[in-house]
Amino acid sequence: MFNFKKYRKKSPWILHYNAGSCNGCDIEILAALSPKYDLERFGVINTGNPKQSDIFLVTGPVTFRSRERLVELYTQMPEPKVVIALGSCTCTGGVFRDMYNVEDGIDRYIPVDVYIPGCAASPELIIDGIVKALDILEQKTKKMEKPLKLFQDASTKDGIINKRDCALKVGEKDEEN
Amino acid sequence: MKKTINIPLGSQHISLLEPVRFKFECENEKIVGVDSDVGFVHRGIEKACTTKFKYDGIGYVVARVCGLCAITHSLSYTVAIEELLNIEVTSKAKYLRILLLELDRIHSHMLCLSHTCENAGFEAMFMRIMGDRELIMEIQELLTGNRIQFDYINIGGVNRDINLEVATKIVNNLDRVKEKVMGYVDEFTNNWSLSLKFKRIGALSLDDAYKFNAIGPLARASGLNIDVRNEIKYLPYHEIGFKMQTHIDGDINARNIVRLNEILNSIEMCDNILAGIPEGEIQTKYKGKPNGESVVRFEAPRGELMYYVKANGTAMLERVRIKTPTFASIPAFSHIFMGENYADAPAILASFDPCLSCTAK
Amino acid sequence: MKKIKVTLLDIVEEIKSFYDYKKWHFLTINGVALQDNMLEVQWIFSKYETLEEIVIFYVEIQYEDIIPSIVNIIPSAIISQRELVDMFGVEVEGSAKGLYLDKDSIQMPLRGCLL
Repeated sequence: MFNFKKYRKKSPWILHYNAGSCNGCDIEILAALSPKYDLERFGVINTGNPKQSDIFLVTGPVTFRSRERLVELYTQMPEPKVVIALGSCTCTGGVFRDMYNVEDGIDRYIPVDVYIPGCAASPELIIDGIVKALDILEQKTKKMEKPLKLFQDASTKDGIINKRDCALKVGEKDEEN
Repeated sequence: MKKTINIPLGSQHISLLEPVRFKFECENEKIVGVDSDVGFVHRGIEKACTTKFKYDGIGYVVARVCGLCAITHSLSYTVAIEELLNIEVTSKAKYLRILLLELDRIHSHMLCLSHTCENAGFEAMFMRIMGDRELIMEIQELLTGNRIQFDYINIGGVNRDINLEVATKIVNNLDRVKEKVMGYVDEFTNNWSLSLKFKRIGALSLDDAYKFNAIGPLARASGLNIDVRNEIKYLPYHEIGFKMQTHIDGDINARNIVRLNEILNSIEMCDNILAGIPEGEIQTKYKGKPNGESVVRFEAPRGELMYYVKANGTAMLERVRIKTPTFASIPAFSHIFMGENYADAPAILASFDPCLSCTAK
Repeated sequence: MKKIKVTLLDIVEEIKSFYDYKKWHFLTINGVALQDNMLEVQWIFSKYETLEEIVIFYVEIQYEDIIPSIVNIIPSAIISQRELVDMFGVEVEGSAKGLYLDKDSIQMPLRGCLL
């Protein structure tokens, strides 16, 4: 059982984008939002506005014409954000792999946090995936709230703090550990 | 001075399940010009059918053209191949195929009705219909093993047999759905606020329906008698009580009423099938490779679906042409939008029940 | 299924004299790649409220030939014509490119299907 107190703080909103799927997963999202599965009990609302959403739910292998829109929507969402790849074809290309107008999976374009397999993914799996995404969202929020660690060397040259350099340094330290 | 404003709808929009972009040219509130872009979901399935897959696997690939009418796609392809191979399917398999086809039609129409209500601003009705739709999804899962992509039909028959337990469950659930649909008929005909949103909006006249070759519920709502179930002899539709459902108004309300009546008719047909399902095998053995060309038409939930298959005696086909219902209706859609208010555009679009992944393939 | 062979010059006249919009339902335009750089273009019709009656007009052309448009007779043919242009890279009167394909995607994907 998960801890309800942990999630009560947040009411994550979903942005759904179809990047060329067959519609099967999209109607399963609708089914998951409807009374039998009732995803809305987690505070989830399906919204059409990228600037208000926290979870990016993508279905479909990325077709050529939807690439720009996908990246555009991703960049318009505020941090912290979680990306869910819904369906086999979104994760790897699935049955559409190597077709001429398809990029195989969305992780060629944007970073993905949760992969949900299945053709079409069942509502139970979608709920599981979104609950997992809420977990990741919480972690990402905590990470963001932490103050940025500034290293003494190199970054404070001449008293000017280069924020980008600091961020790079932090990343390197993480890799070493 | 004439002044028009361009307002886009899509490609990502809350009222759209799928990416499509309409560019409306508006004069104040009225739409005076429509430009559409439907190619967002083009994946290249037609080519993959002739280069990547062998003929016996394509039935499962073309099901992925569209999740809502997956069963009609795989059935049309399979029937085209069976014609080329001269396979006679057992009558039990035929009845099971119709049963699933009609169940699929019921759930697809219910989805469309709920979506139309949502886009008209009636959220409660959306939730109600979506909740009741689960009854159909449940029996589809029992019958085939999956909720959306069934992969139920293969060349020569069907993949799963039906047993008494499943049949009873289907009959019970269909009875419950029938009661609920009667409730919707009452709501859709008598609810005053819904009538404001639906009546006399997005109308298509009979003459225009002929001219633009409208199909499916869109055409039948205008009074055009086109239903492929009436025009094919492969499936025994006349034995199980098929009735053509038409309306004369041609507006959103008429489309909803036609869909509701079709749900009731489909439930009746399913009951008739289950009452007299014949005994026998569900699979016929076959051998050989397809050769020749064939054209097969079926009635998908959105209208007429056509498959053209050309084979040359090897395992790889030469050409698979998929004509999908929404693809053929795009000119009619653009015509209907002319002269309507921009505020009604999402509701009108939802009432067409567009399927863009069908359109672009 | 009835197949009628016509030539490219009189396809518009043939369809004009054949097509009665209250009797015949226009299905689609279809292209099939043949050997030796040839293309078979089909105009497919079916009859309303009749059991299994399909009529196909077809022509065999080179890829360089310009196909006449039938939009004046059947307005809904425009979308099929645009698809034909995209898929085979042929030219159809008054039909623009770019229904499905972008500039950087593979052009005329169905042309070399036989090879």
